Amino acid sequence: MEDKKVTLKLDNVSKVFAKVESDVVTHALYNVSVTMESGEFISLVGPSGCGKSTILRLVAGLIMPTLGKVTVDGKEIEGPEPNRGMVFQKPTLFPWLTVEKNIGFSLQMQGKLKGNEGKVERMLKVIGLEHFKDDYPGQLSGGMAQRVALVRSLINEPEILLLDEPLGALDAFTRMNMQDEILGMWAHAKQLALMVTHDVDEAIYMGTRVLVMDANPGRIVADIKIDEPFPRDRSSAQFVEYRNEILNKLHFGGKHN
Amino acid sequence: MSENVQMKAEHDADLKQLGRLTRRELKELEEKEKTPIQKVMEVVLMILPLVCGVVAILEYLLLPDQSRNKNPMYYVYVLVIFMIIYFCCGLMAAYNKWKGNKVFYEKVRFVAPLCSALFLLLALYDYLTLKTGTLTQPFVPCMNFIINAFVADYPMLIECTIHTLRLLMIGYCIGVSLGLVTGITCGYSKKVRYWVDPVIKFLGPIPTSTWIPVIMVVSTSLFAGAVFIIALGSWFAVTVASLTGISNVDQEFFEAARTLGANKRQLVFRVAIPHAMPSILQGCTQAMSSSCVALMIAEMLGVKAGLGWYMTWQTGWASYDKVFAALFVICLIFTLVTKVLERIKRHVLRWQNGVEK
Repeated sequence: MEDKKVTLKLDNVSKVFAKVESDVVTHALYNVSVTMESGEFISLVGPSGCGKSTILRLVAGLIMPTLGKVTVDGKEIEGPEPNRGMVFQKPTLFPWLTVEKNIGFSLQMQGKLKGNEGKVERMLKVIGLEHFKDDYPGQLSGGMAQRVALVRSLINEPEILLLDEPLGALDAFTRMNMQDEILGMWAHAKQLALMVTHDVDEAIYMGTRVLVMDANPGRIVADIKIDEPFPRDRSSAQFVEYRNEILNKLHFGGKHN
Repeated sequence: MSENVQMKAEHDADLKQLGRLTRRELKELEEKEKTPIQKVMEVVLMILPLVCGVVAILEYLLLPDQSRNKNPMYYVYVLVIFMIIYFCCGLMAAYNKWKGNKVFYEKVRFVAPLCSALFLLLALYDYLTLKTGTLTQPFVPCMNFIINAFVADYPMLIECTIHTLRLLMIGYCIGVSLGLVTGITCGYSKKVRYWVDPVIKFLGPIPTSTWIPVIMVVSTSLFAGAVFIIALGSWFAVTVASLTGISNVDQEFFEAARTLGANKRQLVFRVAIPHAMPSILQGCTQAMSSSCVALMIAEMLGVKAGLGWYMTWQTGWASYDKVFAALFVICLIFTLVTKVLERIKRHVLRWQNGVEK
């Protein structure tokens, strides 16, 4: 992670999905171009169907663009790779593996577990679940499970961290705690983070940049830089202003319109 | 004032204790104190099996027999041995309870009513067979005859048991391993499934025992034929179970594993198979019961060894005591096999229950 800067580029990307029952297709993304760099924390907000998750899955390499190119440092993405880690809305921990083995899963898949047990130990410590390392995911609460899922991806020290509504299923307090935890980890590693969220406040609170998206067809309608130091104050005038701006772009503006 | 402080300190100590409670201790703490009547009832319940055992022995010794009874004391010995075993367990349980460990006590307390019922049932059975002949003799032999049959014919019974077990194990293992291979490849590869699916759909609904007459004629050895039939049944059960298990794996797990760097082979062995394990093991249990059925039919119809054969053979000689003896052995074997499977299942799927570790 020694200041290795990466540039992620979506170059006129369109993604079209075929519907299952009919012959109609949906334009999940239409001619989207955007450039992002290491050190940025990018929030993607927008109504459902605007293609925010599609962008994440394209970057992860789980799906391929219909048209256009997704590149990292000029190299086209060909498939999933551990240095582009992804955290899903559901923790998707493997229920047959203990917490410890779940965290070590990625290292084991790459044949790097031997000699790196310390890493797993360290990750457990980061999320404060050392006592739960021999437990199975079924015994964890939602917040704990999502923390485990987070470090399960972070153990690879990914250059790009993809967060697909990771806090969507959590209660409000756990959510706020974890926002700070994620920001802390990101501030430490300074990778490029992309987070999908439904929550405008969360997008502003965490992002250095907010991409506002709209549906039919899925596209980016605004690219707003959030120029405020961390930690941010959710009730500051500046914060409220950002919120109004974004809500306006999403056609949820207040009486000013 | 100081008394107040002391009381508060005691309460604090109690509260601290609460934090270190185990589940069992909590249960005991929250349980209501038993009334004296309940306590007496508990003791009576624990002793009841011994009383029932004595009843069974008295019934057997005091009432006059209807038919000639060889070696009449065998049955009594068996009853006494059962009673001694129960008595020892009871003593152990009482000792453990006195030492503060109630686990074993609760187990014995759980089986005590069943043991009592068993002894009473034995007494009733003896009354209906040996004492009155209400159940048609000699088709339903009394316990003492059956025990005598065991004693007289045990080398033969052991040999037959070995034959039966060997046939069952070979057939079952072949069927299960082939079933795993086909099920997993079909569940994972659409191409293989395209070709195998029709075979499963065509062969599946046919009960395995239907094949027996054909196989007995076609196959070179009866043993091989029986192995084939047992294997076929378990192959089918395991194939279907593992196929559904694998194709029902949530896509999310594959996606998560892929972003974590798993390759295709690892997706099969590290994600798909573990995820399908509950279904696969369910198939294995099903395969075992179908194997047992096929095994017995095969032995009764064609194979010239094993307990099934022994039963038909002895029926021919009208030795119903021996038929019943073989029946008991079969019951014992199948119970044991099912138990072992259950144990394996519990161990492999320990992640499914939150409490057990």
